[in-house]
Amino acid sequence: MISTVALAAMLGAVWLAGIYRGHDSRAMLLPDQVMTIFSEPKPLTAFALTDHKNRVFDFASLKGKWSFLFFGFTHCPDVCPTTLAVLARTRDNIAKNRAGAEDIQFVFISVDPNRDTADKLSQYVAYFHTTFLGVTGNDAQIANLAGQLGAAYQVAFKPGLEDYPVYHTTTVFLVDPRARFHAIFTLPLDAETISRRFKALQELERAKAT
Amino acid sequence: MRWQHPVFVCLILALTLIVIPAASEEAGVSVLDPWVRESPPGVTMMAGYMALRNNTSRPQVLMAMSSSGFATVMIHRTIVKNGVASMVHASQIELKPSASFIFSPGGYHLMLMNPKRTLRAGDRVDINLEFRGGLVLPVAFEVRK
Repeated sequence: MISTVALAAMLGAVWLAGIYRGHDSRAMLLPDQVMTIFSEPKPLTAFALTDHKNRVFDFASLKGKWSFLFFGFTHCPDVCPTTLAVLARTRDNIAKNRAGAEDIQFVFISVDPNRDTADKLSQYVAYFHTTFLGVTGNDAQIANLAGQLGAAYQVAFKPGLEDYPVYHTTTVFLVDPRARFHAIFTLPLDAETISRRFKALQELERAKAT
Repeated sequence: MRWQHPVFVCLILALTLIVIPAASEEAGVSVLDPWVRESPPGVTMMAGYMALRNNTSRPQVLMAMSSSGFATVMIHRTIVKNGVASMVHASQIELKPSASFIFSPGGYHLMLMNPKRTLRAGDRVDINLEFRGGLVLPVAFEVRK
């Protein structure tokens, strides 16, 4: 017990030292509760969905951008609005001091296409952030991308029942500009931590590329 | 008799003085920071949050809720199991004596269905909390973004 606490304190100290040093991104990527980075990012394969403006959102849409993906549904009163509000703040944090932030995108994937039409998604995502994309597709199309990411969900659709339950993962998935599944963010999500850790990862990947 | 000792008599008197005002304190249950999350346009499901504190020495049970602002108000709990969120209906909430109970995002919440009017940040909406024994607390929830 004591050794666990001591280890946690030590890790905390190393992590803080990393932040204060400022330049060593690796020091900021020690494991923590919020972000899990895969040492070997998983390349995704072809998929096709449709966004809230009825445009195609497919494999090519992931190229050249860091994508934050979150699965949910608009009739979700608690987890989805809470998460999307955190992601909106995350985006603002990342975009701060950086013109445009064109190389990041936030995508809300509805697993409830029966209720979440393009119009509905359009109003919904814009409420949280004007840059957010809302996408969905038919069951097979959603299952394709969800399956590649290991995103669990279940729609307990019952004809005639308007408020059927939908179960969905609370994880936020991060796909890198090479369309590789690179990291996940898990509860408890907070915008400051996500944006700080994301920037560190991005710096590290940029350094690798050059 | 041991119980007639003056010290015990004084103690019992003192306890009575402490307990009676607490038990008869207005409402008996305090509601702290009641708020409803503003919903995106077109969304008819909203969630409300608050903290309840039982000021009495008896259990208090939140049995039901009603509001002229919504078609239905229910107690729901978000449960995250193996990373997957689901919602379960809770029929009642028992507050132990002097205990608090918190409704917060990602946990227990008031499930507010079909608002009668568009609620925007800054608005207030009344919800009645009905406790076992007939206690009804009208609470003004603040709508927040």
